[in-house]
Amino acid sequence: MKIPPFKEINSPNKNGYWINPKTKEAYGGQYISPLLIPNLQKVEKCFKKALKDKKFMKGLEEKLLTFIGVNTPILRSKELEEIAGGQKKVGKIYLKRTDLHHDSSHKPVNSFSSCYMAKHIFKAKKIICETGASMHSRSVAAACAMLKMDCEVHIGAVDAEKVSLNKDISELYGAKIVVVHESTKSLLPAMASALRSWQSNPDAMYVVGSVAGPSPYPRMVRTWASVIGRIAKQQFKQITGKVPSTLFCVCGGGSNLMSMAYPLLKDKTEIFAVESAGEGIPTGRHGATILGGSQMGILLGFKSKVVMKSAQIAESLTEASGLDFAAVGPEVAYLHDIGRIKFRSTTDMAAKKTFLMCCEKLGIVPAIEACYVINAALKEIKKRKNPKENHLIHLCGSGESNVARMIKFKRENE
Amino acid sequence: MNKNFQEMFAKAKQEKKGSLIGFATGMDPNYKTSKKILIEMAKHCGAIEVGLPFNTSTSDSATIMDANMRAIKAGANTEKIFKLIKEVKSEIKNNVPFLIMTYMNPVYVYSIKKFAKKCKTSNVDGVIIVDSNNNSPEDKELSKELKKINVAYVKLVAPTNDEAFIKETLKKCSSWIYIVSYAGLTGSKQVNVENVKKISKLIRKNSKIPIGVGFGIRTKSDVSKVIKIADAAIVGSGIVDIVGKNSKNHNLTKKISSYLKNLKKGLNK
Repeated sequence: MKIPPFKEINSPNKNGYWINPKTKEAYGGQYISPLLIPNLQKVEKCFKKALKDKKFMKGLEEKLLTFIGVNTPILRSKELEEIAGGQKKVGKIYLKRTDLHHDSSHKPVNSFSSCYMAKHIFKAKKIICETGASMHSRSVAAACAMLKMDCEVHIGAVDAEKVSLNKDISELYGAKIVVVHESTKSLLPAMASALRSWQSNPDAMYVVGSVAGPSPYPRMVRTWASVIGRIAKQQFKQITGKVPSTLFCVCGGGSNLMSMAYPLLKDKTEIFAVESAGEGIPTGRHGATILGGSQMGILLGFKSKVVMKSAQIAESLTEASGLDFAAVGPEVAYLHDIGRIKFRSTTDMAAKKTFLMCCEKLGIVPAIEACYVINAALKEIKKRKNPKENHLIHLCGSGESNVARMIKFKRENE
Repeated sequence: MNKNFQEMFAKAKQEKKGSLIGFATGMDPNYKTSKKILIEMAKHCGAIEVGLPFNTSTSDSATIMDANMRAIKAGANTEKIFKLIKEVKSEIKNNVPFLIMTYMNPVYVYSIKKFAKKCKTSNVDGVIIVDSNNNSPEDKELSKELKKINVAYVKLVAPTNDEAFIKETLKKCSSWIYIVSYAGLTGSKQVNVENVKKISKLIRKNSKIPIGVGFGIRTKSDVSKVIKIADAAIVGSGIVDIVGKNSKNHNLTKKISSYLKNLKKGLNK
């Protein structure tokens, strides 16, 4: 198998901004201590060099196919079609199963590619990363083990407890775990902590897990991650003869959304991003950025849509550690604002019920993050009532690390 | 150059001394105590940086992060920090210049134009934005607005920066330039004199702007080492540490006072 080659579309400008042609609003950029500017310049130079380096790209492709197993299937789910009202009413529903990757989520594609670049082009000996659901840290730690690099993981104290399985696997792979007790004790302070650590270790390379952070990270992460969408687009055409009518992905910072959506941006596919409504958006206790009252703000090195409270970054609260982020990546905010991506949301309770439904009716244990999107997709598909449509849902991770909390939920609700 | 900074550097030069610049997080641990701290600091420091707290700061050590969180808990916001500085400046009996040190988000959210205007009406003499990049539209706007009203825009340069970056920074920097002495967080290591020498040389090659050095300056001996090379020594974590450990202690201002008095002994050129 050959991975379809990367074609750059929707490029940011030389300073790392996406500019809305109507409002002239700029998304992205590089807001960081001058200490890190040379490092960011080096990352950008290495990234550009990597894309042009045929030997590097060939080596990376081989590892993505043989170590990550990036050629995961797209499988039709007649069960979900039945739940939505039947194929004759709503069309066909397909699942892109990136939960079947090595390390069980969509994350390893970007993580491995970034680490591979760090090793062979940046020449770093150490990787620093942040993590929420620990899917990113787990895959970075695996890459570091394989590539013989040191790995330092920053994780919020709340997440360290919630997703201890993935955290422990990261540790088994040899990562040094730094537990962050600041602020919300979740993904956002973990990213701030990782950025701070990089300032003390400028020889290391920082590997971001989302399409966020200072330029060039949003562009670099979506480029590496888009391998998933390039393969999916090809697979979908082979199965149905065309691109999907709709694409549904969950959205925290936006890496899993961009991994699938990027290669379809110029196609007719309607793209839906699903955020966590937590306990309900009106309660203020949620993880929704676009639908949760965000405004333009600057955090963690980039400018984008951010949920704030009096100029301070607001707490995001959701069951899903991977969605616990009070902002979206700059390209995601841009694509929303120009009307290319539509947003929907699902509450924690609905996602948890969907988790149990997936276990009981599909025989799949999905990551809790994926349950937000399955729930919202079913609602949207039902509403569309178009039997001619082919829908694609990104099942972006496996739910082993959610099992302890979900079995408790099941027993409490029986 | 902002008049109050001009006077500060001129006076120090006349006395053959360096200047001491103190940093404290505004409203840490609360408005009232912070006001007392700043008034006390104005008796000993050549200039004062007041931190406008941001809860997602990316360059601060745990000491300053904790101070940020204490201040936010006490209700700190941009409006109140301006009010605090205005009140302190009206009560002190000298022209000690005050700067606001913060991240771009609070300024951007407040509106850059409004922020600059408020600096003028609150008698703020300068602004330092830790995460402001020379290429960002916000940096361009802020630098332009501050220039109009003669409020200093003090920019940071670090040991990892090359001459091209320093030259670019100097174009926007006014009144003085801030050298970050090492690769790391505020107050997490000891001042790196070799780095300071190296960057000072690059600055001096391109400009006569006064140089302040921060990060890792805690003792009289640190101040003394820095003042041999630069015009001002900046002390932050040392002061914030005293505030953090003595926030309910009646002797808090006395402790800060004696700490600063001792540091001042290192100011002789």
